[in-house]
Amino acid sequence: MRVDIQSLGTYNRLAQEGAEHAAASLTSMTGIETYVDVTNVTLMSKRDVEDVFGGTEFVGVQIGLGGGLSGETALAFDRDSAASIVDVLVPGTSTGDDGEFDEMARSGVKEIGNIMMGGFVDGWADYLSTSVDMTPPTYVERDGTDVLPDGALDRAEEEHVFVFESQMTAVDQEIDAYIYMLPEYGAFAEMLEASDDHEDAIPMDKLTVFDEMTRQGAERAAENVSSMTGIQTDVDVSRLSFVPIEDVPNTTRDEVYLGTVMEFKGTPGGYLAILFDEPSARTIVDATVPMELDDPLGDMGESAIQELGNIMTSGFIDGWANVLQTSIDHTPPELVHDLGTAILSPIAGRLGQSQEYAFLMDSTVVTTEGEFNCEIYAIPDEEKLKEALDSLLVERSDQLEANRDSIF
Amino acid sequence: MKTYGGTPASARTRKRVGIADFAVTAEGAVLTTSGLGSCLGVGLYDDRADVAGLIHVMLPTAPDDPTNAAKYADTGIDAVVTAMREAGAAPDRMRAKLAGGSAMFEFDSQDEPIGARNVAVTRAALDRFGIPVDAEDVGGDSGRSIRFHGDTGELRIKSAGTERRI
Repeated sequence: MRVDIQSLGTYNRLAQEGAEHAAASLTSMTGIETYVDVTNVTLMSKRDVEDVFGGTEFVGVQIGLGGGLSGETALAFDRDSAASIVDVLVPGTSTGDDGEFDEMARSGVKEIGNIMMGGFVDGWADYLSTSVDMTPPTYVERDGTDVLPDGALDRAEEEHVFVFESQMTAVDQEIDAYIYMLPEYGAFAEMLEASDDHEDAIPMDKLTVFDEMTRQGAERAAENVSSMTGIQTDVDVSRLSFVPIEDVPNTTRDEVYLGTVMEFKGTPGGYLAILFDEPSARTIVDATVPMELDDPLGDMGESAIQELGNIMTSGFIDGWANVLQTSIDHTPPELVHDLGTAILSPIAGRLGQSQEYAFLMDSTVVTTEGEFNCEIYAIPDEEKLKEALDSLLVERSDQLEANRDSIF
Repeated sequence: MKTYGGTPASARTRKRVGIADFAVTAEGAVLTTSGLGSCLGVGLYDDRADVAGLIHVMLPTAPDDPTNAAKYADTGIDAVVTAMREAGAAPDRMRAKLAGGSAMFEFDSQDEPIGARNVAVTRAALDRFGIPVDAEDVGGDSGRSIRFHGDTGELRIKSAGTERRI
């Protein structure tokens, strides 16, 4: 099948508007000013889903959808956020010392969940000119992937799943909430399917290949970090998402990062940013610079990060070039030390001149002991990505899987 | 009927402006936006009406029929001025302050860098309304986070570990 980029964009916007309604409901019920950070639609394999949700404890509700839009939704808060909200909604009940939510607290979560998700779904129903049925909310208090609607992971095993994700954050408090919607794959694929003569379409099977390429690029980059620092690393998250171009900078945390950014040219063109938050950068500098530094993030430290950025970049690019069987030209990686959003804003700006949405591949390289993590963002130019995918033979990826050792 | 919680005063006094987004206040709220790289933050203030606005634009010129006017300098200035007028401000009393528009990277420094174009198109758009630019902190190669005080029109800028006020 081929995916119509335009309609993917439309559904992304519906999810964004829905999340804004949900955030407004949360604000009006609790008085906690919230806003929607990012809304994206991600194509995930089972492994991606596990990576993203693994190890986090969520509290929330699940609601099934039927009628004009079938699928599953979940509204999830991390435990502390849920406790803060319950405390405002039903003061005094909240959580016990053992962190258990009592009956009143649970029904508070259910009630806010029902109202927020009602707001989220309304926009979709309007757009589709149909009614969408919601099942009563089920309270969930689970770890990691279990917060996802039942069966979602099994489906991901068979094929990739589309996951709409919106992140909401409070202005003055540490509150994070997430809305996930997993439309039923077959029906949603039909909604997205482009007619054959549609110019603005991307072949679905090749898109999943690209997702795999990104994972491999990140893995290769991670290997290079390990060999330079002597610290064992792993790729924790690697996913391909589709976001409005203005949301690209917000995919980083509101923090200062050190790293490198470069532009790659030709097919596919685009940008690659390799970013360490400051504590991670300090750890890396300590591990790689043989002497004790007064300021680990001063000139010496920055040049160590620059070197690491160069090495990781070349690992990442090698991964892509091998799959595409082409050389990829790029500008020298440039050192950057600034707020994450400021770093990604010129990239979003340059791409934004010709496209409304971006395919964003983000990967996180982590260490087993949690010494540091590194975020890798690859953001291809949409036109160039289409060209690259058009010339990419899907069989290549199978070959790559089989001959990985000989290729790398 | 059960009513839910009150509104803490602090939540009312600060408004966050996202990328390609704007906010207007007639209650003297502090309008904030963070991580301006090549993007430009424009604070507008009518001190007689006590109405202030802040917009975070990403690109200089809008295509026909933009889905989000606040994303572009030209349509964005129109949008925020219109919203401020609805809140009781008059364009001929408005004054502006600019922050952002840096060139973070070499690849964004040649061939008409976006930051510089954002500044130029914003100035032209303000000019059309006859709105003077009182102060600015633009260009360079560092990102900025800003707080625009809706009660005084003061703009506080944090950039590369330093803080200044204009």
